[in-house]
Amino acid sequence: MQLKSQPAVLRRRLIAASCALLTTSATRSQEAPEGGFVGRLLKEWQLESALAYYHENGRVQAIEPVVSASHDYDDGGNVSFNFTFDSLSGSSPNGALPSRAAQTFASPSAQSFATARRLYNVAPGNLPADPHYSDARAAFGGSWTLPLERLTRVTLGGKLSIEDDFYSGTFNAAIAHDFNDKNTTLSFGISDEADVIKPIGNTPVPLSNYAAFDKEGNKSKNGVAALLGLTQVMNRYWLAQLNVTADRFSGYLNDPYKIVSVLDAGGNTTGYIYENRPEVRTRRSVYLENRVGGARASAGLSLRYMTDTWGIRSQTAQVNLRWWAAGRQQYIEPTVRWYHQTAADFFQPWLPNTTAPATQFISADSRLANFHALTYGVKYGFDLSDKLHRGGIRAHRTRRVLSADTQHQHCDAGLAAGTRSVSEPEGRPGAVRLQLLGA
Amino acid sequence: MRVRTSLIALAVGSVLLAGCSSVGVKPWQRDILSRSDMRPDGAGLDDAIDEHLYFSKEASSGGRSFGGGGCGCN
Repeated sequence: MQLKSQPAVLRRRLIAASCALLTTSATRSQEAPEGGFVGRLLKEWQLESALAYYHENGRVQAIEPVVSASHDYDDGGNVSFNFTFDSLSGSSPNGALPSRAAQTFASPSAQSFATARRLYNVAPGNLPADPHYSDARAAFGGSWTLPLERLTRVTLGGKLSIEDDFYSGTFNAAIAHDFNDKNTTLSFGISDEADVIKPIGNTPVPLSNYAAFDKEGNKSKNGVAALLGLTQVMNRYWLAQLNVTADRFSGYLNDPYKIVSVLDAGGNTTGYIYENRPEVRTRRSVYLENRVGGARASAGLSLRYMTDTWGIRSQTAQVNLRWWAAGRQQYIEPTVRWYHQTAADFFQPWLPNTTAPATQFISADSRLANFHALTYGVKYGFDLSDKLHRGGIRAHRTRRVLSADTQHQHCDAGLAAGTRSVSEPEGRPGAVRLQLLGA
Repeated sequence: MRVRTSLIALAVGSVLLAGCSSVGVKPWQRDILSRSDMRPDGAGLDDAIDEHLYFSKEASSGGRSFGGGGCGCN
């Protein structure tokens, strides 16, 4: 769908790299020189920035600044770049279950308990989590849209992402064609991704004994994806989009830092093994989005259904409502998102010590469990009086709840006697995030 | 029974086709549709940040666009 997003005047000039100083930055950009390279840059490129802060109670926290720049050409083409930096730190669950007895673990860099630089102890009844978790990611992406003719355009894009233990490169290409007086757009795209995984302390051998520190070299995985999309203008106030996607990832799909508790018949922890996931995963999804708008309000409703070859099925629904104040210089936008997924076929919170895990697939990663999550939040946005700059702030809160059957599995393991049950895998009351925006 | 089903299908199909004939707008009627809040990709960085967060916490991703990773967080 080729739609003009904003009056051209709103697309100009720079705000700031940091949203924490939105007003100040906007003022500075207005004072930027009109001539020269910088002046042209500020006039011809639209820059957006955001700073997100994410916090899980007692767990990880993340800070994520994002900057993007885009430029529209007169012929309908567009070029854009974006840069993201993530910094995560805090405490991350390692997959093991709480135990009646105290538990001791080594940080991933360790090659043995005796030589480990960092050991961490977990009190009886507490969920084991590595308190020294930290990671940083820098990602740079770009895309280039060029019109082939009046109704057809091609977009080429790429992304590079670097972390301490993960390197990723992605290339994508898409073609879109307008029909029906530009009221209908059909698009098709493909994507190819290549990743290298270099776990801290090397890659643990799947299903190996945690205490044996049986490690091997770097791993890789590859992914291909295809997307078919249809966008339809229904009427002056209503736009609908339907996407069908499929992707296939193959290679090393484990989380190298996740382990599984091994329990005896009495529910006592006797050891741990590293998880083992299938080396191929194919996913299919259907996504429907509707946008409805009026003079002072608009609404977005999106629905997604996904299924994969690991046995996971998920449903997602999200609603956004935006109300503009008189003069259309301020708006408020509440959001509600509901998500549910079934567990992967091989998800298992613990393994009986009577079972030999020679070839089976197993993971206790709560992200593969049966759970639902409810996110609700609100965004306040505003245009500055010069009509050239925008700003905003968002706040969201998420609550994730494991399904009752998974909680029962924990109880079956005799853990009900623990000082607290494992009812939520990702933070007890949930997670909150704050975000500042500027453009 | 089959005839009745066919008639119902024909009636429903006719209504849908009649509806489709009025779908769409003329170029001068795109004032509301041209706003960023009416574009599926209009949220820009908001969507990018949300997608990354949900990707790191859930087994699903994508839909609006490609659901690739580019991140070792999941």
